Amino acid sequence: MSVAHQVEHVTCLGCGCGCDDISVTVQDGRIVDAIPACPVGRAWFGDGSVPWEVLQAGKPATLERALIEAASILTKPRASLLVYLAPDITSRAQRAAVALADFLGAAVDTATSDPAVGGLLAAQRRGRATATLGEIRNRADVLLFWGVDPNRRYPRFLSRYALEPAGTQIPNGRAGRFVIAVNIGADKGPAEADHTITLEPSEEIAALSLMRAAVLDHPARDQSPNLASAIGLIGRLTSARYAVLVHDAEPTDLPRNPLRVEGLIALAQALNGPTRAALSSLRAGGNRPGAESVLTWQTGYPFAVDHSRGYPRYMPGDRGLDRLARGAFTAALVVGSPVLAGEAAAALGGIETVAIGPGASRAPFPTRVAIDTGTAGIHEGGTAYRMDEVPLSLRPPLTGQRSAVQTLEALLEAVRTKRPGSSA
Amino acid sequence: MTARLRIAGGTVHDPANGIDGEVRDICIDDGRIVASLPDDAPTLDARGMIVMAGGVDIHSHLASSSCNHARRLLPEEHSAEPVTAPALVDGASLPRSGTGGTVPTTFTSGYRYAGLGYTTVFDAAVAPVMARHSHAELGDTPCVDGGFFALMGNDEYLLRQIAAGERERARDYAAWLLGSTGAYAIKIVNPGGIEAWKSGQRNLNGLDEVLTTHGVTPRAILETLTDAANHLRLPHPVHIHCNNLGQPGNVAVTLATMQALAGRRAHFTHVQFHSYGGPGWSSGAAPIIEYVNTHPELSIDVGQVMFGSATTITADGPVEYLLHKSSGRKWVNIDIELETGCGIVPFLYKDKAAVNALQWAVGLELFLLSRDPWRVVLSTDHPNGGSFLSYPALIQLLMDRSVRDEKLKQVNPKLLGGSALADGLTREYTLNEIAIITRAGPARLLGLRQKGHLGPGADADVTVFARNADIAQMFATPRYVIKGGSLVVEEGQLRRAPVGRRLHVRPGYDNALLPDLKRYFDAYSTVAFENYPVQGIPDEPIAV
Repeated sequence: MSVAHQVEHVTCLGCGCGCDDISVTVQDGRIVDAIPACPVGRAWFGDGSVPWEVLQAGKPATLERALIEAASILTKPRASLLVYLAPDITSRAQRAAVALADFLGAAVDTATSDPAVGGLLAAQRRGRATATLGEIRNRADVLLFWGVDPNRRYPRFLSRYALEPAGTQIPNGRAGRFVIAVNIGADKGPAEADHTITLEPSEEIAALSLMRAAVLDHPARDQSPNLASAIGLIGRLTSARYAVLVHDAEPTDLPRNPLRVEGLIALAQALNGPTRAALSSLRAGGNRPGAESVLTWQTGYPFAVDHSRGYPRYMPGDRGLDRLARGAFTAALVVGSPVLAGEAAAALGGIETVAIGPGASRAPFPTRVAIDTGTAGIHEGGTAYRMDEVPLSLRPPLTGQRSAVQTLEALLEAVRTKRPGSSA
Repeated sequence: MTARLRIAGGTVHDPANGIDGEVRDICIDDGRIVASLPDDAPTLDARGMIVMAGGVDIHSHLASSSCNHARRLLPEEHSAEPVTAPALVDGASLPRSGTGGTVPTTFTSGYRYAGLGYTTVFDAAVAPVMARHSHAELGDTPCVDGGFFALMGNDEYLLRQIAAGERERARDYAAWLLGSTGAYAIKIVNPGGIEAWKSGQRNLNGLDEVLTTHGVTPRAILETLTDAANHLRLPHPVHIHCNNLGQPGNVAVTLATMQALAGRRAHFTHVQFHSYGGPGWSSGAAPIIEYVNTHPELSIDVGQVMFGSATTITADGPVEYLLHKSSGRKWVNIDIELETGCGIVPFLYKDKAAVNALQWAVGLELFLLSRDPWRVVLSTDHPNGGSFLSYPALIQLLMDRSVRDEKLKQVNPKLLGGSALADGLTREYTLNEIAIITRAGPARLLGLRQKGHLGPGADADVTVFARNADIAQMFATPRYVIKGGSLVVEEGQLRRAPVGRRLHVRPGYDNALLPDLKRYFDAYSTVAFENYPVQGIPDEPIAV
């Protein structure tokens, strides 16, 4: 047994918090501790062990042969292709994957969840008023949690960003902040709130609309007690120096009104008349915002992009995974952990699929080619984006045998050899 | 790369070397301009054509997290302008598709800049904490050498040092920040005003108005960072976006800022947006340009407004809120921790709108009343005043009085009474002056000795235009563009898309800064001090 060593300032991608203060202990090539990682972070790091296989039709192959086979599959005439970006890859790997999709004329889909898509589309209609997490930490004197308790899925959000730390404008930390919880049915806010109200799900959108109206100086009359209590929050919000609304942009077990996010965006924007305000959208881990960022700068759209006509088309109402389930593709390239399930996995098993990423060889669907790589931030350095779209440095505590970005760049060379010239 | 090439027989405009329309050969060897080549070197026949250095854009917004937020906001523009991948010939780089609009995708931006004969571009506003993002975008912006300016005029640590009278510490911090982020220059946007916006004071309107959270004035911020840039001998001086952008009467604070920095090297940006009389709207261009004309230590870029679609992207958050309220257009605001802000509002400049017509006129007045083109250079503050694709039309307005006068007849005259443009400005820019304001001038102001000219040792960045009576057409469609010796545009078509060089600086500083800075990071930053510096920045820093 070798002597354990520490790797400091490791960035955790377990959830979208992107805590970069993790001290990881490594012994015999395995992660044995990660402090002060939360349970979500510990699950993310695990012991860092991943398979390092290269498979062709389920059998071991050389990397060279596997890449040639993958290139053959992806460059077949009249192929209809999907490139799927799973979350746990670096932005450089995402850039290489979108380059492949562009060259191959493929559709691109990502792990952006449906509720997160709702937020992206609402922000494309209205814009948004938001802030990076450090602004919340340093300025937020009133925090309103709308149907979410971050302790469940974003365990360090409150201690690192929102509630406890002292900030430049909040020298007393928690004591300097007033916390409001708005429970939407069973979607409850944090228990440590200073003030809590409860709305029935059927009242939620009306409440957001009436709250915005009150901010704009159009107070409503004759409302139900619940709605009146929601409107009653406006005085507290408008008297804040910096009010922050927090919601969960990711799906939960409970059904959610899809209009919620637009109501919150509109309310946060309106609050910037009487005071300053921001909406903070909690996002899951991996590097989801990175995929949206890369797609945006390379194609102009944050998700659901199709290159089949030789240029990027935006197809937000008919995403790649939906089309996959309908049998729209003849082949697919899955980049990142192949953790797809249900109809998507069944459909991938029915077409020629190439998987490149952590655990590709253990994909829950048959693959023609599977090439295992390391995981972003555990075996691979580079950049990943936090939930607030701040780009973070990744310090991998372990050394991988094969990186996703190098594999994708080699695949790009292989497909260019098979099919010289552009897809245009 | 074309190792050797003789551009033969063109009419050369190389004002940095005193060449104004002389027929001569330009020789290229291994990416540089050389004095001569052997007779058997490959030749590009440029007889009858006009030869200039590659264009240098001193102030653009093309590769930043703010640009990307703007891209995301504009799917309607992108779907209206899909762009297929160009037919590149050499296979060295993958041809990429993209989308256009006022904020094109990165590859498309690079191709389009090259298509106009521009080979060097700077993004003028990058939040230091987002620097990693800008380097990635620049890596995906081919054909141009590029870099960015780091936003510092509202930085928490800097404000604390100024408040404490620690100006040397502030300078060390600025140097550390430039090197840690791989930036090229210090940028000030609305000094103190963004922090005022974020802290609830809303804005600062005068040089001596106190930022209440820190007890610091815009004047102190401007002086500290101007002196820092000059003391550090940065290739480009401090790059200043003044207080009160876009407000009537702001000419007063702009002049006061110039006067406050008198005798010190400084660059004032998109000055058109800062040259309005008040309290009603009127042109304030004359007093501003008169001051610039008589103060050789100052330089400006104009920030011309061009009629049509634009997207306003700025760190100046309070301005964007006001624009959102007045225009009713969709609005993004992102407060960026400890450093700056970001605001975005799409906009349409209309020639029938009185204020837009005034803005257009003010920009032209700055150009036409300038007596030193080396210090009054071209920009539209892309995409704020208009896309960089409108540069050829702007050049035509400057070179052709008849086109300008015809347009003047079409615009709303309501606010133009008494303006110099309405009174009649007969000046027409010469080709040599255009070469100065688009190439030689910005390169000199940026301290890029190997850019903007065609003398031996210069980077082989060359644009060759076929003569055309339609000036706008001529500048929009160069026949050849050579970047670092590589023939990027041939017969008007993009043929190669080399990776550009990254332009950045790494000035020295006193290491005594670091323990205090680490304590500050530990207390207030959500990014670890150890993780903050960007690793793996391409290319060696420019010597300072």
